[in-house]
Amino acid sequence: MNVPTLLLLGAVLAYPVIYAGYLSFHRVGLAQLRRGEFAFSGWDNYSRVLEDPLFWTALKNTLIFTAVTVTSEIVLAVAIALLINQTSVWTSRVTRFLILLPYAVPPIANGLIWAFMYSFQFGFLNRLLFATGLVHDPVNWSGNPDTALYAVAVPYVWRTLPFAIILVHAALQGIPRELYEQAAIDGANAWHRFRRITMPMLRQIIAIILILRTAFAFAVFEEILAITQGGPGDATWVAAWYSYKITFAPPNNFGMGSASAYILALMIGAIALVYMRFIYRRVTL
Amino acid sequence: MFKPSPTTRLILHLANLMVIVFILLPLVAVFIGAIQSEKSLQADTRRVLPAEVTADNFVVILTKGEQKGRIFDQATYLPENIKSFYAAFANSAIVSVSVTLLTLLFGSLSAYTIARQRFRWTLFLMQANIVARFVPVIVLMIPLYVVMRSFGALNSLSGVIVAETGFLLPYAILILAPYFDTIPAELEEAARIDGCSRLRAFIYIVIPLATPALAACGVIIFIISWHELLIPLILNARPDFMTLPVVIASLVGDVHVFFNLMMAICLLALAPTVVLVALLQKYIVEGLAAGAVKG
Repeated sequence: MNVPTLLLLGAVLAYPVIYAGYLSFHRVGLAQLRRGEFAFSGWDNYSRVLEDPLFWTALKNTLIFTAVTVTSEIVLAVAIALLINQTSVWTSRVTRFLILLPYAVPPIANGLIWAFMYSFQFGFLNRLLFATGLVHDPVNWSGNPDTALYAVAVPYVWRTLPFAIILVHAALQGIPRELYEQAAIDGANAWHRFRRITMPMLRQIIAIILILRTAFAFAVFEEILAITQGGPGDATWVAAWYSYKITFAPPNNFGMGSASAYILALMIGAIALVYMRFIYRRVTL
Repeated sequence: MFKPSPTTRLILHLANLMVIVFILLPLVAVFIGAIQSEKSLQADTRRVLPAEVTADNFVVILTKGEQKGRIFDQATYLPENIKSFYAAFANSAIVSVSVTLLTLLFGSLSAYTIARQRFRWTLFLMQANIVARFVPVIVLMIPLYVVMRSFGALNSLSGVIVAETGFLLPYAILILAPYFDTIPAELEEAARIDGCSRLRAFIYIVIPLATPALAACGVIIFIISWHELLIPLILNARPDFMTLPVVIASLVGDVHVFFNLMMAICLLALAPTVVLVALLQKYIVEGLAAGAVKG
């Protein structure tokens, strides 16, 4: 019964991952692809990647992007999950109904929508700010090298936040009410109840979100493609964009692309191992 | 459980208002952008609501550029990919439906064996799936491109379907395995004593009981597959085989396409999954939670 699964995992996951390793040690460009012969080049691709200042810029941007998005997602997810848990407030029920909407938006469409929001001349955000009288000159959200990376982080958080909120909200509903009632009888105020009951009970789910979202934010791609294409300058070059451009834009260096993708994969792999060993709950298996 | 005081309620209402505005803002933007002409977007760059509303953006996309409408009167150039909207929509539908069905078929078989048979190798398979979920697409794309190129499988829907099924299978198994585990084994054992094979017991007893989990898993896989960009982008460069996200991505950097047309096609592309999410919210919530924490 597992034959199809094993075949597919082998063909689409295991083999390509191993083959990417193979490619990363060979010289592979378009000419070599046409001939079908790849010359062994040892660690050459890796040293070229590691000597490329653009790779280090991309890595630095990836780390900043990940830190910013994951931190804000966790803070927002806990706050919004607590908010939609207030079932006696009618606006909370509205929020709860709408919360999953961003999950339905394709990442590339999300990117383009925010490209329209951010547009310097024609953007929707600037229009809103003009209309409310908050600014008098247009703001260059994604065209300014100092703010571009954060400008791309906002749409990414917007799209991926529902996942985190859903997980925190599910965990909140698992906390026994008696704990809160008992604490209230003992005279604990709302802040104490949050610090001493809610937060400890959410620790595990926060760790899960932290690891999953870190691993996925490391590989952010669509929003970069749609909003900034790595620009202005190299302000939003991230690791996945680097591998993509090195490989699929001229001069199409597949070997170097594989090497850089492998470095990214190894970093994510380390995160995955931590997740599996310490966090993914093996309740029954 | 604790009645909020009037001040607290006011603060909560305000907080909700902020969250709702944040959620809806991009959706309002895409809608407002899609219902006006290029001219009206450019005429007054400080205006939020358009001076006049038009459906011409949708008309030009949905008639493959044949009916240009008033706002495209003077447009001499329309990108080819706008004209292939129906083909892209059909390709996206074919890919997403096939990927969902294949993933559910293979995924439920594997998830079931993982839940029922506690061997070293099933445990290993589960762990492999957990690690596999983290593999970034970009790492797979480079070797997949090279392999598919050498097989001549570039520019075909089946190549994309196989690649996406393999890529999403681990996630499906993670969602399904914990659910199969909650179905009592006694039911199948009774059937097997009556002479039912394991496969028959699986099909006639386990699958009907697992419908909610299959629905949850299916809708999540469909959505991810409908959204997937990198796999079809790299494997399929020919317009006949593009999926919707690829067509949208091809508009990036096309200087002749203005925001009004972009927003219209974005709106058409996000509509199906928005409807799905609105209708099947409960299942998606359960599936997302199951896939991340249980095992």
